[in-house]
Amino acid sequence: MSVILEAHRLSRSFGGLRAVNAVSFAVEEGEIFGLIGPNGAGKTTLFNLMTGLTPVSSGTFTFRGTQLTGLPPHRIAGLGIGRTFQNIRLFKGLSALENVKISQHTRTVTGLFGGIIGSKTSRLEEIAVEEKGWEILKLVGLADRATEIAANFSYGEQRRLEIARALALDPKVLLLDEPAAGMNAAEKQSLTAFIREVRDLYNLTVVLIEHHVPLVMGLCDRIAVLNFGELIAVGSPEEVQKNPAVIEAYLGAE
Amino acid sequence: MEEFLQNYGFLLVTLVQQSLLAMSLYFPLSAGQLSLASPGFYALGGYVAAIMATADYFAPWRDALGWAIFPLEWLIAGLVSALLAFLVGVPALRLRGIYLALATIAFVEILRVVCLNLAITGGAIGIFGIPQLFESRWGYIWIFGPLLVITLIFSYRLDRSRVGRAFKAIREDELAAGAMGINPTHYKVLSFVIGAVLAGIVGAMSAPFLNTWNARQGTFDASISYLAYVLIGGGRSLWGPMLGAVLLASLPELLRPLKDARLIINGMVLVIASIYLPFGIAGALQRLKLSTLKRYASLRGGR
Ligand SMILES: Nc1ncnc2c1ncn2[C@@H]1O[C@H](COP(=O)(O)OP(=O)(O)OP(=O)(O)O)[C@@H](O)[C@H]1O
Ligand SMILES: [Mg+2]
Repeated sequence: MSVILEAHRLSRSFGGLRAVNAVSFAVEEGEIFGLIGPNGAGKTTLFNLMTGLTPVSSGTFTFRGTQLTGLPPHRIAGLGIGRTFQNIRLFKGLSALENVKISQHTRTVTGLFGGIIGSKTSRLEEIAVEEKGWEILKLVGLADRATEIAANFSYGEQRRLEIARALALDPKVLLLDEPAAGMNAAEKQSLTAFIREVRDLYNLTVVLIEHHVPLVMGLCDRIAVLNFGELIAVGSPEEVQKNPAVIEAYLGAE
Repeated sequence: MEEFLQNYGFLLVTLVQQSLLAMSLYFPLSAGQLSLASPGFYALGGYVAAIMATADYFAPWRDALGWAIFPLEWLIAGLVSALLAFLVGVPALRLRGIYLALATIAFVEILRVVCLNLAITGGAIGIFGIPQLFESRWGYIWIFGPLLVITLIFSYRLDRSRVGRAFKAIREDELAAGAMGINPTHYKVLSFVIGAVLAGIVGAMSAPFLNTWNARQGTFDASISYLAYVLIGGGRSLWGPMLGAVLLASLPELLRPLKDARLIINGMVLVIASIYLPFGIAGALQRLKLSTLKRYASLRGGR
């Protein structure tokens, strides 16, 4: 197993608040890596640092040895890091199919005029993009509603569509920010199986933030725990569960 | 027929011309950018054409090229507009929403004041006696008409292409578009340049059509008119800007018998439409079509 993502003393302050404080960890290729911690621990901020949406205050972050810190979000996405958002950010006014077509942008090359005149490359690409769009919508079970606009979808469906959109990017790493939030028990159950399935299907590495403890414990190979911006534990679900600092953080927060 | 064209030819060509200018706003808007710079590029394109058509320096060109000087004027107006749009767009498109709108209005004003003070643009008097391409006003439909058709095809194809999807993604959510691999700056500037090129070419075609060109072409008022066309017609539909332009540009003519009261009616139409038609007329028609289809489907026993 080789390291695919590596954070080295990543930090970010907002004014006086150290939202992420000197966090270092490494994610192995192919694993499902959980990120947990009480509200406001800095989990989402860490995702934003990893995807370039928030500039780092200090520290570095690498993907297969390539330095990502300082790169704009679209470059990081192009290198193969796809993500979803805690507060769902779909292209709401567009259809489900368009949502999954859009994120194939970096895998295609058609320029303005090629697209307008319908060059050979553009026509071939359009067909491939359309096909892959349908394939991914089928995978998440939304193919029968492909032409409906995203805003019409239920909460759980929107979460699934967001995962679909990230998958259409053809990523190596998938970052999921609370994918089960707002889902009912049955949906949560199938989400676990679904995440495993796509990991195997596309040879992905998955990093996921989740509050729902049974889901995290059952799904993740390893778990990192953040508290007040600091990493207080990393390890297998069993190790983390027994860790006194983790118990303290969760009980203290309650 | 002849008499009809005599009377209404100018109006018809003007409607097509205004539709084109509305479309020039639609392109940046399709990438979520509220730019009011079109009148500036329209004025610029007109000056390019007027200068090439009248300045002594270009006399040998005109002699050598004959009528072909006209398409050359359009081409050069388009290129100059593209270049200036790129130079202005890169810094200006860092601004969002209303701030971008204000910056583009400032751009239009600066350009106007510059043209008012340069010798080459004829100062306050402007450039007049611009040679005609056609014998009648009506004849200009043969250049504006095809340009409108090309623009509509362009925008229809764009909507279904990779670049058009990138525009839409940025309009929907710029941050998410970035996270999905789309370079927002690149596509925002591109959408701005497309609009500018169109406005520049329309300006170059309009210079002979209007016969004179001066700093009254391309003002703040024009910015607001074009914006109204797009908002009333519908900024999310290919046909919207054209619909709005035709309606609003012909309204003053239709209401002419009402004298000054027509301004009040004109204003009322704007207010009512912006309250009751958030996505413009085209958006309302779209919804009407959808609900009719649904009702039809349910009658047939569908969902
Ligand atoms: N853009 C910002 N400006 C200022 N403060 C911020 C910003 N983003 C996050 N913070 C603060 O940083 C801290 C960490 O926030 P973050 O959203 O990363 O937490 P989280 O672990 O994802 O929490 P939750 O479980 O509630 O989603 C919080 O105190 C938050 O208020
Ligand atoms: Mg969060």
